[in-house]
Amino acid sequence: MKKFMTLILAGVGSLAVCLSGCGTDGTDPDSTDGGSNFKKDSEISVVSREEGSGTRDAFTELTGVLVKDDEGNKSDNTTAEAIIIDGTQGVMSNVAGDPYAIGYISMGSLNETIKAVKVGGVEATAANVKNETYKLSRPFNIVNKSGLSEVAQDFVKFILSKEGQQVINDNGYISVVENAESYDAASKPEGKVAVAGSSSVSPVMEKLKEAYEAINTNAKIEIQTTDSSAGITAAKEGTCDIGMASRAVKDSEIGEGADALTSTVIAMDGIAVIVNNNNVCEDLTMDQIKNIFTGEAVTWSDVLE
Amino acid sequence: MVRRIGVKNIKEIVMQGVFLIAALVSVLAVALICIFLFANGIPAISKIGFFDFILGKTWAPTDVPASYGILPMIMGSIYITAGAIIVGVPIGILTAVFMARFCPPKLYKVLKPAVELLAGIPSVVYGFFGLIVLVPFVRNTFGGRGSSILTASLLLGIMILPTIIGVSESAIRAVPESYYEGALALGATKERSVYRAVVPAAKSGIMAAIVLGIGRAIGETMAVVLVAGNQDRMPTGILKGARTLTANIVLEMGYAAELHREALIATAVVLFVFILMINLLLSVIKRKVK
Repeated sequence: MKKFMTLILAGVGSLAVCLSGCGTDGTDPDSTDGGSNFKKDSEISVVSREEGSGTRDAFTELTGVLVKDDEGNKSDNTTAEAIIIDGTQGVMSNVAGDPYAIGYISMGSLNETIKAVKVGGVEATAANVKNETYKLSRPFNIVNKSGLSEVAQDFVKFILSKEGQQVINDNGYISVVENAESYDAASKPEGKVAVAGSSSVSPVMEKLKEAYEAINTNAKIEIQTTDSSAGITAAKEGTCDIGMASRAVKDSEIGEGADALTSTVIAMDGIAVIVNNNNVCEDLTMDQIKNIFTGEAVTWSDVLE
Repeated sequence: MVRRIGVKNIKEIVMQGVFLIAALVSVLAVALICIFLFANGIPAISKIGFFDFILGKTWAPTDVPASYGILPMIMGSIYITAGAIIVGVPIGILTAVFMARFCPPKLYKVLKPAVELLAGIPSVVYGFFGLIVLVPFVRNTFGGRGSSILTASLLLGIMILPTIIGVSESAIRAVPESYYEGALALGATKERSVYRAVVPAAKSGIMAAIVLGIGRAIGETMAVVLVAGNQDRMPTGILKGARTLTANIVLEMGYAAELHREALIATAVVLFVFILMINLLLSVIKRKVK
């Protein structure tokens, strides 16, 4: 039996190798030649996030893909041909696998598998978001009901303190509290804090948790990664203490009266426009980005010299 | 003696209750899901307008004013499922015939567990395989962007194989041996006996296998989301992407609020109706067998 299983596994393995091997032989302008094989007349493969995603909301609004008129009508003009993927990781692996793809992700998630293009000549770095030369940025929010437990209050205080904002800076996000006060570690309240929400915010929240738990060993922070809406709902329903949102919180979500939520901006995040590592494109203007994502620019030669 | 019987009776009654509750749990689960779906979905459909919802070609839930038309997703689900059937059914049925009638026992020992293993692989693993292997393969062989109806159909075609093979194989095995022997006795070759006598006799079982395959394909989510491209416009070609009903729900549920969220539940209602129709079809086929 064991023998058979090994045989099957070996068979499946070699099939996979063959398929992917055959794949790269073809038209894929790959590794060895670097970008020289890049065919500029190829169609741009636009990768976007799903409707309602905080990243998409921020991106379409900032680039002008989302068109508003005076009557309050809004229309998201993202091209109908765009591949829709949920989650930052999915966008990254799609762009990493397709030489002609373009997508956008949270700046803190950038890594070497993909390449961030400059926007209007400005590189996508935290410093450039902070000095407002890099135009694609959005707030990270936390929400909570009144009457937070002592330890949860202390955690929020830590996030907004000099130390907490330092953690945010160290991880590629942008701190928002100017001249923050030092965290006073004297009280060390005991207890658990449940945090839930956006997958864009949770990586930095994990770092904040580590830093906070190192200082206040009495506290236990539990982070649950869902999404902005779910985080806000959870905070409202009391299933978590603090909700995380990677977008502005809607008035309907804030609510009224004693149950109303408080929302606090804890950081800024840049949105990076990413392309495949083999793409020769280095720099795009806001207008070009808009044209690509609305489908007006169809091939790479439309935006490249 | 009398007392013993009494104890036995109590046990009997208690266990009867236990079994009844166990049986009720699944019925209750179905009932609760139905109530949840229809209670949340029907108001949304009436708010949007039945025909605007079912036949609307634009899905733009975050626009103001928003449009909630799911026809692109209905067509996407139908196209991708049809593609999966075209890919999966011939392979599945031929494999089942081979396994039931022609397969040497030694090979059967490998083939059977392999097919069962295929059923046990989590769908997200299929999706990942599709994303890493099938998407570049389709892109480089057939052109287009790789994430397409074709890719999703190929992947789903593989995923429904175990269902089709398993059910059709047992249907073929259930055909009385006398059919086969009778055909042989009349002078037919082995192949002819199998394809002209045994397989036609197992027809309704094989139909049931196909319908179950359709059910599996239309309900599949994770694998499809990763390879289909998920464009929310009407499908425009086999090498272009499309979004299925299931993908629409799973993609946007996380971020949706208010009517958008209700519209997604209403999408689930439509999917549920599809599944109900498939099950109805299945029971009609099964009744025919009897």
